[in-house]
Amino acid sequence: MSALLQIEDLRVTFNTRYGPVTALDSVSLSVNAGETLGVVGESGCGKSITALSVMGLIPSPPGKIAGGAIRLAGEDLTQASEARMRALRGAEMAMIFQEPMTSLNPVFTVGDQIAEAIMLHQKVSADQAFRDAVALLDRVGIPSPDRRARDYPHQLSGGMRQRVMIAMAVSCRPRVLIADEPTTALDVTVQAQIFDLLNEIQRDFGAAIILITHDMGAISEMADRVAVMYAGRVIEQGRADDVLDLPQHPYTRGLISCIPALGKGEDTLREIPGVVPPLHMLGAGCAFADRCAHRAPRCDSEKPLLQAHGHHPVACHAVAEGRI
Amino acid sequence: MTPSYLLRRLFYGLLLMLGVVVLNFLLIRLAPGDPAVVIAGEMGGADEALLAAIRADYGLDKPVLTQLGIYIGNVLQGDLGQSFFFNQPVATLIGDRIGPTILLVLCAQVISILLGVFLGVIAARKPNGVLSGFVSVFATIGYAVPVFWTGIMLIILFASVFPIFPVEGMQSVRLRDAGFMIRALDVAHHLVLPAFTLALIYLAQYARLSRASMLEVLGSDYIRTARAKGASERSVLFKHALRNASLPILTVAGLQFGNLISGALLVETVFNWPGMGRLAFDSILRRDYPTIMGVLFFASAMVVVANLLTDLSYRLADPRLRGKS
Repeated sequence: MSALLQIEDLRVTFNTRYGPVTALDSVSLSVNAGETLGVVGESGCGKSITALSVMGLIPSPPGKIAGGAIRLAGEDLTQASEARMRALRGAEMAMIFQEPMTSLNPVFTVGDQIAEAIMLHQKVSADQAFRDAVALLDRVGIPSPDRRARDYPHQLSGGMRQRVMIAMAVSCRPRVLIADEPTTALDVTVQAQIFDLLNEIQRDFGAAIILITHDMGAISEMADRVAVMYAGRVIEQGRADDVLDLPQHPYTRGLISCIPALGKGEDTLREIPGVVPPLHMLGAGCAFADRCAHRAPRCDSEKPLLQAHGHHPVACHAVAEGRI
Repeated sequence: MTPSYLLRRLFYGLLLMLGVVVLNFLLIRLAPGDPAVVIAGEMGGADEALLAAIRADYGLDKPVLTQLGIYIGNVLQGDLGQSFFFNQPVATLIGDRIGPTILLVLCAQVISILLGVFLGVIAARKPNGVLSGFVSVFATIGYAVPVFWTGIMLIILFASVFPIFPVEGMQSVRLRDAGFMIRALDVAHHLVLPAFTLALIYLAQYARLSRASMLEVLGSDYIRTARAKGASERSVLFKHALRNASLPILTVAGLQFGNLISGALLVETVFNWPGMGRLAFDSILRRDYPTIMGVLFFASAMVVVANLLTDLSYRLADPRLRGKS
């Protein structure tokens, strides 16, 4: 049986002033019902573009899905009409965004905004939808939800707003929930609460969650499987434990060694030297080569493909050749 | 929005009106010309004794500050004085003409906002599309062209080429005694050209402003959220985006109201619309001080009221401003 959501060889291009650039290149991911897939990588690696592609929200133009397929329970979303996508968005798949401060409309009450999501997909009266919204606010742990439902976003704290976003996203019990850096803008204590909430909701609703983050701690806490992305490609993929404990790709190793550990007596924070190359300047070889300690001539001339090695697939010549 | 806030705003409004009265009075006294000579001219003769009698009669022989004091005292009692030219109370003159002016100004305001915002929203949907380009060009032309020129061009167009709209006055003489509905339709028919002439310049501004404002709002995170929950494009545009984009439009609408009234002066003159604008224009030529001051007083009152309403509606539209003062 195939996965609930299956992304196959997805290629997304953007027209820029440097000409067309490939934001996603042969990205293949899948996630099953009740499972959490973590997607990690630095800013600009294509995590959010992947999420927006699934939702059909790539700004187009300039963006375009240039190849591949996104199958939700077998249905290819890249071929779906806009009307069909509207029916799926919010109902079958929903998204929680990074910026709770700006992701809610400032001129409507939060109750109305949740009720709107309900009424877009279910035949219920406005009163019933509002009552459902209050129940959802209660479910996501907002105290005195009756009163809070009549509040405007600016009257709520960041953590509360993210809870509202989660309530809105799960209001129609979507089968796929995409959380794009849901805790980046929040305090650490609130982060843990939000992750707990996402876990609970997954247990209740059985949704598949795609958790996009650059926080390896969040991955280890939340994800069943993880995909590491770099410059628009998936470079390593596997069970979260395997990837975290036995990272193979030099980039993944770098990411994990960058996590500061308490009590180890380290004075400086570790970092991966260099920056992600701009997408319009990607050459023929491995995009990570410039920053890699294991660079060989082949790395500059040939893109490594994702292939099984050890516990899980990785895209690295050095690993494939046994140099590391 | 608390009652105390409202009261404070009203108090400031009244203070502002008082300032306007004083400034109007002093400014008009600074203008060259002697009203006594004008009045005497209307009566046909002008020897010194007559001029002195006229000055004494109208209180023009007293020091300016004394005159100001008397005038303010009268205004506070609701007496705007007697027109030199018409020899009627100024309040009566204005009362007869303020209705048509308010009708014209409000119609122009509604037309320019509704049509302008609609064009702006449509243009913002496809910022690089043909319609968007058209709106930009139209807005630039509409903004650049003087209102009297537009009026004259429309008169030429509709008087000779397409005679479907009346180009002068507010009512047809032959329909004076018809039923209310017929007369209302007749007035509406007469209103079309002056209202559109007056609306055009502001329509262009609203189109530009709402296009820019919508473009900014459409790029914001909550619009993406609305799309992510499956809202239709129309709901995204007209519900989620427009409500936010309307905030700067409201501000400008309030500020423009004063300009609209001064624009009405020109339009009323061009289309012979029996409003306050023409009264002001004629009174300035005749140095009819009390009438000019009366017209300015009412125009300022309208602007003060419009600004107050703008402020209140702003608070209604943006919940973040409620409860603050």
